[in-house]
Amino acid sequence: MSRMAAGDGDAFARLFDRHSPVALGLLHRILGGRAEAEEVLQEVFLQAWTQGSRYDGERATPRGWILMLARSRALDRLRRRDAARRRDEEAGDEQARLGISSPVGTERLEARERRDRVHSALGQLSPEQRRCIELAFFDGLTHTQIAERLEAPLGTVKSRILLGMNKLRQALRSAS
Amino acid sequence: MSAGHTPRFEEMLPAYALGALEGDELHELEAHLATGCDECRRQLRMWEADLEEIAASVSPMTPSAETRQRVLEATAPATQPAPARLEPRRTRSAGRRGRWGWLAAAAALALVVWSQWNVARLRQETADLAQERDRLARQVTSLQSERDLARAEAQRMAQALGFITSPGVRSIQLAGLEAAPGAAGHTFVDPRRRQAVFYASGLPALAPDQTYQLWFITDRPVSAGTFSVDGSGRGNLQVDGVADGVRTWAVTVEPSGGAPQPTGAMVLAGQA
Repeated sequence: MSRMAAGDGDAFARLFDRHSPVALGLLHRILGGRAEAEEVLQEVFLQAWTQGSRYDGERATPRGWILMLARSRALDRLRRRDAARRRDEEAGDEQARLGISSPVGTERLEARERRDRVHSALGQLSPEQRRCIELAFFDGLTHTQIAERLEAPLGTVKSRILLGMNKLRQALRSAS
Repeated sequence: MSAGHTPRFEEMLPAYALGALEGDELHELEAHLATGCDECRRQLRMWEADLEEIAASVSPMTPSAETRQRVLEATAPATQPAPARLEPRRTRSAGRRGRWGWLAAAAALALVVWSQWNVARLRQETADLAQERDRLARQVTSLQSERDLARAEAQRMAQALGFITSPGVRSIQLAGLEAAPGAAGHTFVDPRRRQAVFYASGLPALAPDQTYQLWFITDRPVSAGTFSVDGSGRGNLQVDGVADGVRTWAVTVEPSGGAPQPTGAMVLAGQA
């Protein structure tokens, strides 16, 4: 990362090759459409390139930093998106949410195991807790918006998120 | 942990990391984080690490070769486009690609300039901070040496006071003579230990090649050492090996380094 901050193109190519598949997966998960996801992926990596000097190694891993840039950009775009267009794409969204996307053949076993651990940790949450966390994380919704979407009391949503996140942490810790 | 830290803030952190916190709660927590609460920052980093795991739990997808190429071209070191690229493309679609290519190249160049400017700015900031750090380090060193001097001075004064007030110590007053009418001196002698301490005040400043020299006189003058005075005309001297039967204490002005026998003007004298 420090080499990237100094403008090292080779280091940046390696960064791209290492983290772009999961970043694209995240963008696709949030945005639904592949073309748009690839477009935002370019923006994310150009942002990473220009703001490499802002990366704080104490605060996040390079992957974590890239993924947070990606999530933030994707959610911005999601919020700006036309509501009608969103409805049109709901069918595509569902496919993405069900994980119907081309997996990467060369994905490292370690990464896959890590992902399986997170899936099993998410599986330990109640479906309601999981839904609330996913709506916040992948759809960028606030407490109130989640409550409206699920037609649930605000306090219930808040406690589902708090309990769910704590349970998730425990599950992640015990699995690793 | 800051003074205002409460478990309530800790409970807001997961929702904050998720971006679900809003309204008053959001403002309250942000104000609290702005106080620099270490505990909350630590916990926030942990929640962010958990969210990284959720983010990375999606099915990965390989970007298209075109996306990869665009990103890497934009971030490659600035290169001159080949002259052939200047030729207008014949077909419409190729022409459009050519224009986009130019836009991309211009954007890439702008990005490179921008990132180099960022790096230069960062380097400048780093250099400024290093300078500031060195300045502070020098200040600390200077304060430390001042403190050491003050400590040594206090220790010396405590020793002197102990000496002056120990039993059997005699005090001899020295009066200013014609050459230094405003001067005064005191010698405290401990005959048992054959030691003395001498204090002078009101002595005029000397030329750089001159010094004050203290003498005790038995049947002849014996040098007790040389001393200098500070800006307010004060000086002092500790004397070992004081002889028995000293009749007089005196101070003369001598060439720098002192003299074996008094040669200069006498400025202070006192009878034992």
